[in-house]
Amino acid sequence: MRELLTRKSVKIFAAIIIIFAVGLVGFYIFSAPYGDGLETTMDEADFAESEPAYEGPLDYGENYIASLAFGIIGFIITLLVVFMLARLLKKNEA
Amino acid sequence: MHIPDGLMAPAVSAFGWLIAILFIALSVRLLNRKLDDRQITLMAVLAAGIFVAQMLNFPIGGGTTGHLIGAALASVILGPLAAMLILTVILVIQGLVFGDGGLTALGLNILNMAIIGCLVGWYAYRAFPQRSQTAGILAAAWLSVFASAFACSAELALSYSLSGGAYGISGVIAFPTMLVSHAVIGIGEAIITGGIVAYLAKVSPGMLRLPKLAYLNSEKEAVADA
Repeated sequence: MRELLTRKSVKIFAAIIIIFAVGLVGFYIFSAPYGDGLETTMDEADFAESEPAYEGPLDYGENYIASLAFGIIGFIITLLVVFMLARLLKKNEA
Repeated sequence: MHIPDGLMAPAVSAFGWLIAILFIALSVRLLNRKLDDRQITLMAVLAAGIFVAQMLNFPIGGGTTGHLIGAALASVILGPLAAMLILTVILVIQGLVFGDGGLTALGLNILNMAIIGCLVGWYAYRAFPQRSQTAGILAAAWLSVFASAFACSAELALSYSLSGGAYGISGVIAFPTMLVSHAVIGIGEAIITGGIVAYLAKVSPGMLRLPKLAYLNSEKEAVADA
């Protein structure tokens, strides 16, 4: 875990979060009301989305602050899960 | 391009799970005991960065948006085996924690974005000579998105045919709509991927020289990549 908390890593995390926070402004100005390519295709075919078989405990939020908070939570979860998984696959020290 | 529950025919979803499990199991086996500390940290940071980047949809016109998939980016930096693994973890977290993409369709989402996206991105990148690396990265990013969209269109059309229209979308609608929108989204993917790799090459070139493990290159070649 110490490898993740070096000064260089923390600087990179901060840079990613700042870029995300700025990019999220652009998302809410230009993209929030619109669907992605697959959703457009489903609309084009009049395919009504059914109830999901499973709903996650979190979502991406409906406003800037909520999305920023959930994005940071997702960032931390992904960082830790991949780090721990990759540690399991670590090279044997000779 | 996260497929929700109820869109694909159960047989097609099951096929996606089968292929996803086979490829991920093979990737884990080939990566086992081969990662060093630098790769581990890079995998974690890159995965977290791709997770937040996937939340930032950009408009492509016509009331449609797209977002970075990150498969080619991860493949160019880490090689396809590690890239597939981190894209899979991202998709699992999106599905299980954030309800983005159906759980029944998770196998197909892994197949389209993690497996096809990473393999097409990697082998397209490798097809370009060293002196045309920039063109290779841009082409890899665009092709990875287009190939993922093509696979998704084929799954929609197959679901429609197998179920007599109860699931999926007719290929007559699915192929042109998906491919046209993702041809444009792919340009955004190429610009973002090219920009990030160019930035890393300038500020931290060592990151791009770490060993990259793939299905078809031997351990010797992987080390030579370093």
